[in-house]
Amino acid sequence: MASTAQSIATAPAEDLSMFRLYVLRAVYALIAFGEGSIVVPDLFIHGPTARGVIPAMLSGLCLMCLLGLRYPRQMLPLLLFEMAWKTIWFFAFGLPQYLSGQAPPTFAEDFPAISFGVVLMPLVIPWGYAWRHYVRAAGDRWR
Amino acid sequence: MNGRSKSFWRRGEKEVSLARLYAIRALALLGIWGLFETVRTLVAHAPLDRGVHKALIGGLWVMTIFAFRYPLKMVPILLFEMLWKMIWLMFFGLPQWWSGTGSPLLGEDIWGIGAFPLVCALVIPWGYVWRHYVRAPGERWR
Repeated sequence: MASTAQSIATAPAEDLSMFRLYVLRAVYALIAFGEGSIVVPDLFIHGPTARGVIPAMLSGLCLMCLLGLRYPRQMLPLLLFEMAWKTIWFFAFGLPQYLSGQAPPTFAEDFPAISFGVVLMPLVIPWGYAWRHYVRAAGDRWR
Repeated sequence: MNGRSKSFWRRGEKEVSLARLYAIRALALLGIWGLFETVRTLVAHAPLDRGVHKALIGGLWVMTIFAFRYPLKMVPILLFEMLWKMIWLMFFGLPQWWSGTGSPLLGEDIWGIGAFPLVCALVIPWGYVWRHYVRAPGERWR
């Protein structure tokens, strides 16, 4: 019993714990199905002159996150991207607009949805793993 | 000479060729350069700008920097690039192009976005994708 609990919570340094894999899968599922249920309908229902870049990008991300359920480790770049764009939005748009009190009409919807990601992503991304594999690891070969 | 060029174009059955790595890196460089125009506007934008589009491009720009160093680990980003641009073409670009009425930026986007699924399809190492994201056993569940 004790050993089972331990194997769920911990793992060798190079590996991700079972707990972390489940957390990652839960986040992929949240993006794929939660965010997906909001953004994918916009592909079908939109004005004839809508530019469509935002729904297309978000829908693409949601679909890719389905792969994350099977390969949570290999699809980590998707979560890093999710964190990057939401953090950028928060500091370049959300926060300044919140503080100034001047915001576009979409703000009331965007601010909580995106800020949630800004808080959630740093909590779920395995930073030790990301550091070792995307910063410290030697880059792919050049010759 | 022959052996050398062979090793550039081919690295055995289960390894991505050096040529392919350079192609991904070239695409990453193109992204770093091409998206920078939008990234610059992150610091100087209209106060009421919604910003989601610019932030998404900004996030992608960050990932292209990683892709330059780790082209293979960032293949999911490349797949995402191809996928969202195909989705855009299917649901926005082509229907608007055919109907003759579309967003004011359609003329620009139809090339800027619409041409890239093809570019991505040519650059993506499909053998690697097949081996790692389809055939490889999924991560453990217990």
